[in-house]
Amino acid sequence: MKSARPHPAWVPWFFLGPFLLLFAVFFAWPLARAAVLSFEQTYGPGVVVFIGLRNATFLLRDPLFWTAFKNTVIFTVGSLLVQMPAALGLALLLNRPSLKGRHWFRLVFFSPALIGIVFAATLATLVFEKQTGLINYALHSLFHRWDPDFPWLDDYLMTSLILAALWLYAGFNMVYFLAALQNVPAEQIEAASIDGANAWQRFWHVTLPAIRPVGGFIVLLSVAGSFQIFVLPYVMFLRTGGGGPHDRGLTIVMYLYKTGFLAGDLGYASAIGWVLTILLVGIVLLHRRLTRGEEF
Amino acid sequence: MKSFFARFFGALSPAAWVIVALAVGSSIGVALVRATPRRGLQFWIFAVNHEPFYRAVVADWNREHPDKPVQISLVNVTALEQRMMSSFFSGTPIADVLEVERSIVGPAFAGPLPSVGFVDLTDRLRQQDLLERINHPSFSPWTSRGRIFGIPHDVHPVLLAYRADLVEAAGIDMSRIQTWDDYFRMLAPLMKSPGGSGPVDRYLINGWPSDYYTAEMLLLQAGGALFDAHERPTLNSAFNARFIARLATWYTGPHRVARSLDYFSASGHQMMLQGQIVGLLVPDWYAGLILKPEMPGLAGKMKLMPLPAWEPGGRRTSAWGGTMLAIAKSSARQQEAWDFAQFLYLSPTTAVALFRGDGIVSPIKSFWSNPVYDEPDPYFCGQHFGRLFLDQASNVPMRTSSPYNQQALTAFDNCLIDVTAYADRTGRYDPAPLVPEAQRLLDGAQRQIADQIARNVFLTAAP
Repeated sequence: MKSARPHPAWVPWFFLGPFLLLFAVFFAWPLARAAVLSFEQTYGPGVVVFIGLRNATFLLRDPLFWTAFKNTVIFTVGSLLVQMPAALGLALLLNRPSLKGRHWFRLVFFSPALIGIVFAATLATLVFEKQTGLINYALHSLFHRWDPDFPWLDDYLMTSLILAALWLYAGFNMVYFLAALQNVPAEQIEAASIDGANAWQRFWHVTLPAIRPVGGFIVLLSVAGSFQIFVLPYVMFLRTGGGGPHDRGLTIVMYLYKTGFLAGDLGYASAIGWVLTILLVGIVLLHRRLTRGEEF
Repeated sequence: MKSFFARFFGALSPAAWVIVALAVGSSIGVALVRATPRRGLQFWIFAVNHEPFYRAVVADWNREHPDKPVQISLVNVTALEQRMMSSFFSGTPIADVLEVERSIVGPAFAGPLPSVGFVDLTDRLRQQDLLERINHPSFSPWTSRGRIFGIPHDVHPVLLAYRADLVEAAGIDMSRIQTWDDYFRMLAPLMKSPGGSGPVDRYLINGWPSDYYTAEMLLLQAGGALFDAHERPTLNSAFNARFIARLATWYTGPHRVARSLDYFSASGHQMMLQGQIVGLLVPDWYAGLILKPEMPGLAGKMKLMPLPAWEPGGRRTSAWGGTMLAIAKSSARQQEAWDFAQFLYLSPTTAVALFRGDGIVSPIKSFWSNPVYDEPDPYFCGQHFGRLFLDQASNVPMRTSSPYNQQALTAFDNCLIDVTAYADRTGRYDPAPLVPEAQRLLDGAQRQIADQIARNVFLTAAP
């Protein structure tokens, strides 16, 4: 067998160079600049006034920020509670070799992840529409007492957002679970069966512990993604100012966007951005602590 | 030499070299693509419907002024907002002349007055007597801290469009209606359930608690306001509290008269066609651009009338939407831009084209006598569509240009949602018992908006 030749020393830098350059220009520098900006009030980058900790103190008592925070947490928790079981359920179903057409189903369930979020959000808006929306129409056809004017996009924004995200991301997460399930040693399941374990016991005591590291990873990805959600609610609730009635659909990143890019207050937006960064770092550290010793 | 090339290319696999070649090749390709050169004065618009006749006007201008050509571009309103604000903040390229919609103009006025990215047109307008020639309230959305930053494109008075076929079949004489109370009382027989039993399937007006378009129109009509003339928030006025309490009773309880009808969706249009809503608040642009082309099935079934007043003798109209023509301060051709702006907006040809194409009546008072506005319109049962709107043009309410208007409107509407919920929770469906709760909620909203404004050192430091 031919042994691999060692690469010249410049090769790693050749490949790392573009990333390091982009990282420095578009991540490290903006992050440092945002830290400075969070102590300033701006009207665009050209008009800047140093205001010390006023952004931070205002943020603590800003009802809109706390509404956005609450909505984001509700979305995150709701998404996790709905998406994880759905993704795992689909993966378990499609992991059955006896299921006919499972390759086709895999594509069907994964396909929402292949289309653009804007397109998916536009479709979701139509689906949740009053009268002509698919959901209201179907529910009214099935149950005549169902109000065809049911205000999904007025009063049940988070529910509709969680359902739209379920449609969009459940298939994506399913693929991770499916890969993990296919790596569960068959002999362990077989041994459990021989020991008399029923299907539920095999799942609970063998399969679930085996896929736990992947599950933890998906949870981390979902939580981080949910805290940064922007495009889906922005497009779905565009007609009601992006935040929806009563700001029920306002998320942290949407508030950051509106503050920084529409109102031009980059300073306050930076303060919001830093809070989000700290939150995400905290979540990652917590995840590391909880999953210490588990490998993925 | 040979060994150098062999070592160099051997460092990566062929596939990796293909990727590198594609990256380099596509980068060079992108760098070589030449952008369309910007020739002459740049003019950005966002309204698709305006484009055809604006192009004709621009062609006329270019024929008359070959040394000062104008290039028109249609830009999506959201993209226009982003590019406009980016230009004001960072000096990125922007058009010399641009049409700006009211909903996106607020942030442009959030900074110190000298940093507003539009040219201050106040003195030019005054010198050319345009402050007198143009309908006065039409300037209000484009006026910040006493300075005017655009030429108004429109007036956008609001009338009531109603299902004349249903009303006349019921023998109701709409000319006797003066107030909203008259309207709801006289049209009450039209609210019925299918076969006389079950839930009501027809309501008298469009609107629902989270519909801030309708809330703003009705508030302005009633005489309320979210800001005073000095752009200070006035959300918690006693008037506004009484207004919210009264409007909440339209939306819930035994005296409910309104139903949600989305202005811009297929479901809303379907409800209108099915007669589930009798009356709709419509500005001229909605009648011309939405109602007539998107609901042709209602042709000959609709009529227009002034809005019923809140009190006898009160205002019979409101305003919704609006556009201005502004000149970017960054433009190197401000005089040319001003000349073109006048050519476009002060032209009777444009006024007629805007009306014929989109139903929009001109803000130039001298054009109001143009016979085009007196043409009968078969869609509205032969009514003089233009004249009906113009009759109310000078009565449209003043509107704020505060950069906090959208936030204030959202906060105000949140109070309306909460008062409606409070009515349902407590079973209080008359306005009077709802007023204290409305006042309490509005006090909170006022604090929230005042806090936001107080935080803005640019506005608080302004003279």
